[in-house]
Amino acid sequence: MERQGPAIIGVGRTRFGEHYEIAPEKLVEEAWLRASESAGIERKDLEAGYFSDYFLQLTNKIGIEEGFLSELSELHIPMEKMRSFSSALLNACNAVQSGRYSFVLVGGVEKMTDRWDKIRDDLMLLEDPWSYYAGCTPEANHELMLREYLKRYKISGKSLETFNIALAQIAAKNHYHATKNEYAQFQKEVAVETVLEKRLQTSKPLGLYDFAPISDGAAALILASHEIAREYTDTPVYVAGSSSATDYITFPSREDRTGFVASTAAIESALKMADLDINQIEIAELYDQSTLLEMTSLEDLGFSKRGRAWLDISNSCRDYEGFYQIDGKKLFVNTNGGLKADGNPLGATGGAQIFEIVRQLRGEAGDRQVKADGDLRFGCALELEGFGTKAYIHVLGRD
Amino acid sequence: MTSEPIERRVSYIGDRLRGSRCIVCGREYFKTKDYCGKCGRKSFGKMEEVDFFYEKGKLEVCTLIKEPTNKFTKLGPFIYGIISFHDGKVRVPGRLTDLILRNKKIELSSFEEREVIPRFRRRHAVGHSDIIPTISLAFTFADEYYPHQEYDIVKPKKEYDTPGIVGYGVYVPKFRIKEGALERSIPFMDEDSITAAVEAGKTALVHSGVDSSLVGKVYVGSESNPYAVKPIASKVAQVLKLGEEEKPDGLQGVDAVDTEFACKAATSMFKDASSLVYYPGANTSYAMVIGTDNSQAAPRDEPGGELDLFVGYGGSAFIFGMRDVIAEIEGWYSCTSDTPDFWRRDLESYPRHGGRFTGEPAYFKHTTKACRKLMERLNLQPEDISYFVSHQPNIRFPVKVAKELGFREEQYTAGLQVAKFGNTYSGASPIGLAAILDNAKPNERIVVVSYGSGAGSDAYSLVTTSQIEEKRRRQKFTIRHQVENECIEYVDYDTYRRLKLGL
Repeated sequence: MERQGPAIIGVGRTRFGEHYEIAPEKLVEEAWLRASESAGIERKDLEAGYFSDYFLQLTNKIGIEEGFLSELSELHIPMEKMRSFSSALLNACNAVQSGRYSFVLVGGVEKMTDRWDKIRDDLMLLEDPWSYYAGCTPEANHELMLREYLKRYKISGKSLETFNIALAQIAAKNHYHATKNEYAQFQKEVAVETVLEKRLQTSKPLGLYDFAPISDGAAALILASHEIAREYTDTPVYVAGSSSATDYITFPSREDRTGFVASTAAIESALKMADLDINQIEIAELYDQSTLLEMTSLEDLGFSKRGRAWLDISNSCRDYEGFYQIDGKKLFVNTNGGLKADGNPLGATGGAQIFEIVRQLRGEAGDRQVKADGDLRFGCALELEGFGTKAYIHVLGRD
Repeated sequence: MTSEPIERRVSYIGDRLRGSRCIVCGREYFKTKDYCGKCGRKSFGKMEEVDFFYEKGKLEVCTLIKEPTNKFTKLGPFIYGIISFHDGKVRVPGRLTDLILRNKKIELSSFEEREVIPRFRRRHAVGHSDIIPTISLAFTFADEYYPHQEYDIVKPKKEYDTPGIVGYGVYVPKFRIKEGALERSIPFMDEDSITAAVEAGKTALVHSGVDSSLVGKVYVGSESNPYAVKPIASKVAQVLKLGEEEKPDGLQGVDAVDTEFACKAATSMFKDASSLVYYPGANTSYAMVIGTDNSQAAPRDEPGGELDLFVGYGGSAFIFGMRDVIAEIEGWYSCTSDTPDFWRRDLESYPRHGGRFTGEPAYFKHTTKACRKLMERLNLQPEDISYFVSHQPNIRFPVKVAKELGFREEQYTAGLQVAKFGNTYSGASPIGLAAILDNAKPNERIVVVSYGSGAGSDAYSLVTTSQIEEKRRRQKFTIRHQVENECIEYVDYDTYRRLKLGL
């Protein structure tokens, strides 16, 4: 019997995209109120808050986020601020698990479009300074990893063509999913040819449609202790496993540059905690900052064999039916549109991932509800901080 | 704004590419480390410093950067990748420099797997009043313009009675503009007089085989230091590790100073360097003199723009000492007068000069006087001199002065390099001298006459020794290499101005 940890009893989010006119705290408020409403709890039930954002200090001159949230909620409860949503959730889980709190608010926000001309420089704070000094960009490491991958697995000629198309198919697939997601930033389809064309225009290995956008948005959830969750909902979703791992900040210094060891370490310990096997996970939200990362994450997490994910993708996307078919098994990936099409407001991104898995497990995903072969019971979300510098895995399950 | 304490630490590591090696297991790290992750506690006190400054690396993978972060936009498109050293023991991020990629079709695999050498360059653009950031995580291909030269310290064999040149290096990049008979050297975007000084000094150390810790003083002469206040010499001393390095505070036991006297700022110090190494009480085995300039000129259609037809870019470095000398200094003569033929006021970007006034009462008067006086003192006739070289602001002046002093064409052509590099200001007559030293036989006499506006001249007489030939094989980056290289890239006027203005 798998482990049943703290329960998510409500989720909420804003649409991702450009919200020039909305202040960051208003975005959090919107997500938080939706989560509270869906959980059916009162503001005063909250005992603690864990929040996440990466860059509000830079982008919005907001230094102590907790103060804004205290003012907004008119609560004086303990609050802590982390970088990623998954980090906030992991810490909230630990606190609830320890028995300290019964109800915790977890929220994340980012406001990136306010700083359009500087945001790519801000993103370099997630890399090592030496790479920055040598001319690195937020996209460069993805492309270097792609070159390493091609070298390692000796992919050239006809295979290279298939490989390049497979990556483009990931973008097209994620855009297709986003058409059914009312919260997604880009609710429109993008053709594989368009993705390929953008690469050709700049003579680069990855193009505009291979990368996630910058976005504004917020997400929130209400975490409750296992014991009381059933009093508030008939369909609690349990955090069966939560884990994180780290890797060197300097990408060139890493031993393996064709994947992320942090992702592999995180999934291993999260599965162990949940007492599950990777084959029991049927739906996954992967951190597709680029199409390449969705592909390599399939390998890092053990869904695909090393060096074969692009073939699995290629085979599944020829006539895409809404899921990847890997060794005869269905795997639903990024059904919200992924970072690519759903949007990527850093501090809130992980919240959208959890939001999606919760909705799918509860059967509340509407038009985009996946059709698993049996009962859909387990899903996982992979969130990264930096270029694989930190990896967070949350394994979610239901009764 | 660049923050100064951070800048100090970053340049200390990055300018020289300093790292660490565990002497227990041999594992290497880029950036200094006191502890080996593999050996754990037993590596305490067993980490040694290693640097990659003179090494050759390999570009493993790369990508094209077309939309750089804000401080890199001026560079235009560039190649960024991962470079490995020592067969993959260490990997560093790096930018390929000296490539103009605009509108070029790029095949990434044509760059990968090739050998690269670190170059000392500006890191990125900063505001006009900020510290200029530098780094050696910029690379060029080893099989192109810049050859890889190993730095082997050689134990000196012979002690001389007279001080002289023990090694030298000239640094001119591969970019040129050709207009009529004149070819001129141009810096790449990330170069300036500081980077040329370091690169020239590095080449001189390689050629001389001198242990850099024995260099007790470095002089850098320039009229285009990007700082009004802050020496180039301090950067040279730090990057080239001149003098004993005091660890762990990162101080170099060396005296470093910048000098300024228009185009004779460097040659003027030849005698000071020689005297210093000669004086026993100074305890200085070697002294280095560098002349470096990104020769300034206003655009052609602006006042002072006539200089824009002649200016070049480059640096030269000479190491003086008493051991393993390749050319002894026989004597010198200097003269000075307050002649305002060329000047640049504080806060002005470009110098101005006095038109035809710069020729007769300025250049010719001082150079002929200095040379005649020197020859008189040493009792020399033109036929006693194998090579004559003078300051070369254009092609006409040095030829005219040579003829006036009674030298024949075969005596002055070897040192005439202005037609290939343009007027490199402080580096001009030293580059001519280097071209002669590249080919001179033992026991030949060279007379070099510099000229600096403002105005003054230094004349030196040097006599080559037998060691000039045995040291020659250590110098791959000769003047000839820099003139005849097939990788030289010619650019148009607009590109030239853009590159010259730099980051």
